Amino acid sequence: MQLFGQILVNGILLGGLYGLMGLGMGLVWGVLKIVNLAHGALIMLGGYALYYLYTKAGIDPFLGLPLAMVAMFVLGYVLQTALLNLIVRSAQLNTLLLTFGLDVVFVYMAQLLFSADFRTINPPYAGKNVTISGVVVPYAQFGAFLVALVLAGLLFLVLDKTRTGRAIRATAQNLIAARLYGVNPKRIYAITFGTGAALAGAAGGLYGIVSQITPYIGVTLTAKSFVIAILGGLDKPLGVIGGGLVLGIAEAMAALYLDPTYTDIISFGLLVLVLVARPAQLLGRA
Amino acid sequence: MTEPLFEVRGLTKRFRGLTAVSNVTFRVAAREIVGLIGPNGAGKTTIISLISGTLVPTAGDIVFEGRHIERLPAYRRARLGIGRTFQVMKPFPGLSVLENVTVGALFGTGGGERNRTRAEERAREWLKFTGLERRMDQRADALGGPDRKRLEFAKALAMNPKLLLLDEVMAGLTHVEVDEVVELIKKIREKGVTILVIEHVMKAIRRLADRLLVLHHGQQIAEGRTDEVLRDPRVVEAYLGKRRQ
Amino acid sequence: MNRYRWLALPIAAAALAVVPWFTSDTIVQYGINALLVATLAQAWNIIGGFSGYPSFGNSVFYGLGTYGTAIAMAQLHWSFGSGLVFGAVLGVACALLFGIPILRLRGPYFAIATLGLAAVMSAITATVEIAGKNIGLILPLFRGDTLFYELSLILLVAATGTVAWIARSRFGAGLVAIREDEDAAQVMGINTTTYKVAALTVAALFSALAGGIHAYWITFIDPASAFDPSLNVRMVIMTLFGGPGTVLGPVLGALILSAVSEVLASQATGVASLFYGIVIVAAVLLMPKGLLDLVQGFRDSGWRYFVDNVRRYRI
Ligand SMILES: Nc1ncnc2c1ncn2[C@@H]1O[C@H](COP(=O)(O)OP(=O)(O)OP(=O)(O)O)[C@@H](O)[C@H]1O
Ligand SMILES: [Mg+2]
Repeated sequence: MQLFGQILVNGILLGGLYGLMGLGMGLVWGVLKIVNLAHGALIMLGGYALYYLYTKAGIDPFLGLPLAMVAMFVLGYVLQTALLNLIVRSAQLNTLLLTFGLDVVFVYMAQLLFSADFRTINPPYAGKNVTISGVVVPYAQFGAFLVALVLAGLLFLVLDKTRTGRAIRATAQNLIAARLYGVNPKRIYAITFGTGAALAGAAGGLYGIVSQITPYIGVTLTAKSFVIAILGGLDKPLGVIGGGLVLGIAEAMAALYLDPTYTDIISFGLLVLVLVARPAQLLGRA
Repeated sequence: MTEPLFEVRGLTKRFRGLTAVSNVTFRVAAREIVGLIGPNGAGKTTIISLISGTLVPTAGDIVFEGRHIERLPAYRRARLGIGRTFQVMKPFPGLSVLENVTVGALFGTGGGERNRTRAEERAREWLKFTGLERRMDQRADALGGPDRKRLEFAKALAMNPKLLLLDEVMAGLTHVEVDEVVELIKKIREKGVTILVIEHVMKAIRRLADRLLVLHHGQQIAEGRTDEVLRDPRVVEAYLGKRRQ
Repeated sequence: MNRYRWLALPIAAAALAVVPWFTSDTIVQYGINALLVATLAQAWNIIGGFSGYPSFGNSVFYGLGTYGTAIAMAQLHWSFGSGLVFGAVLGVACALLFGIPILRLRGPYFAIATLGLAAVMSAITATVEIAGKNIGLILPLFRGDTLFYELSLILLVAATGTVAWIARSRFGAGLVAIREDEDAAQVMGINTTTYKVAALTVAALFSALAGGIHAYWITFIDPASAFDPSLNVRMVIMTLFGGPGTVLGPVLGALILSAVSEVLASQATGVASLFYGIVIVAAVLLMPKGLLDLVQGFRDSGWRYFVDNVRRYRI
């Protein structure tokens, strides 16, 4: 029972992070109607940004996180303005292929610049933890979980309360109508993609604290983010966190009861299951 | 009435909470033109999608030539001889007009004409019939509005359907163009095709339809001979009261 | 002129066939790789170019072909021919097994599912005892680059011939209709499920055969190399670059880009892959219909061709 509690806690802590990954994916998908296959690569880049802020500039990872997010926002904003705005209206096949190409570019840039070695962001408190009635809660993991929740809450508030947030939601609903109300779609798209990249970056940074980063972590994370975004519902930040928790817990359980190599197989099974079961309903709503 | 070509009994479709089509029953005899009318959101397109197999009914039977088809996939129904057009037109955008129509001839009723050269010949005839011959080599996404409607028609006709389901093929056309399409539909009927036509253009429906079926909020509120139905006070209130043409 | 166009293909194939007798070993070895990857591109063209289903998981079929052949030869001591068949059977079985659920998905759903499949397949293989777990397998040694070269060429010609047939057949017209608008295709009488699964299966067959030939040639395989996800990158980009949905585009794209990347790869690892990524991005933006269309379009409208492409879909 205690073991079960431990697994549950592990799953929840990991799940919060997954939720954050799904958030950026879902936001971009919902507003721009682009499924960003480079999302995982953006997560990976965010991880490296935070890694170098910590190792080279000595900034505490949790304090460096906003900086990494700003850098990723700028990257996202520029990408959208320079490239993606050129093809947002084109066939879905083309947007998929373009973001796939970007993914490849980022992965191999990272390989050239940062090498293929495993990196971990290792602050002094990394190994420390607190034990609550027999269940171990590592500080770093718990911190990452809290940050994920805070960011999800912030996104929810921004979308709900600010002018830009409302413009983003209006654009997601109906681009033409939003235009009539004076929304500049190019700018809104760029801000949205920038925000998506910033969220991905944050997730990557936190991932670097609780796990390891290499240039190649992106692909599976893209797939997971996508499934989480579907599980949670594109337009509901808090729902997406819930989707992340589901996947996190499922993976933690699989890791306990099966050989660790099976966790990926379990997530893939879940992925196909979710995909096959949900799209019809989702498309009906879209 | 003679033996119906096809028949719908208790047809119902629910989308989550909303009942888009509720317990609709009607028959269509061979070579008849039946008009399906009703205000926006009445469930007209949904009925066509249920018959063509794009949507699966929540309840009810659809019988075509004496055979239950409500569980058949869309492509099987097309092979039995049911062709449709889409209100939101669905050309194959990257293909030429001729290629678009050739697809109809290659597949469609009875599996179509399996030889590509002969299918292309057949497609050319339908392009002539619909007046699209000059546009044959253009890409479908380069066509203007009226020509797109013609293409939608030609694609369905090339399938050689026994039953043709037309969803607002006249919306947005000028008076002259509407007259052309009315003549076209009459010509199609003369070829022995049965037609179920959704239309908001009253002038056209009056000239075309032998009988009318009126929907309102998914309910069937009237059915019968065109002139009688159009005089029915319930129809006038529900439909014409809101939308005069 | 046009009447004799069909002759170009046999002549080109014959010219390629005599290459080993006139060039060096290095070129022949490069040729084997280029021909096999061209086959993979051509196979991707069937599902991605004709049906419009962006598969990022065709490396799985290649990997299964590789492993099927390797298991048959190294573990069961079968002949190379039987090994190839066994690998092809595995690839085709996988296409049928996963194709039926996955091809029900459209657009991004399909793309992600294939991405996921490709990502976990090497993990799965690494747990299988008979596949040598994560250590891999060693096949019997056979020196004969010329034979492998000719085999690869035959496979590419067969794949291209199949695509040429598809392009003129009723089947191909159905695939293209599915690519252009699947709902419309279905109400016109096309059995979309069967068509898509058939397209994926044919693609899987050629991919698996390419994997089998490569396995015997290279003699050592492990999960990382057999299911190398960067293979997907190459298939997609080569097809896209040459011209998706055309008969010769993928072959041209593959032969040109293989040559370029061979040069780049001698500079630093990763540079070639980076180049591929850049080419995908540039191709989608500037020449979405590939090289063959570019040549035509450039002749008609010069540099405007690129400007028009960039302008077409921008917001
Ligand atoms: N796929 C769907 N999911 C959910 N609701 C739907 C779906 N398709 C249609 N509806 C709803 O069902 C109702 C009937 O729609 P339908 O398109 O059949 O109307 P219609 O009579 O064709 O209207 P119009 O004249 O505007 O074309 C509408 O309220 C519509 O919003
Ligand atoms: Mg309608």
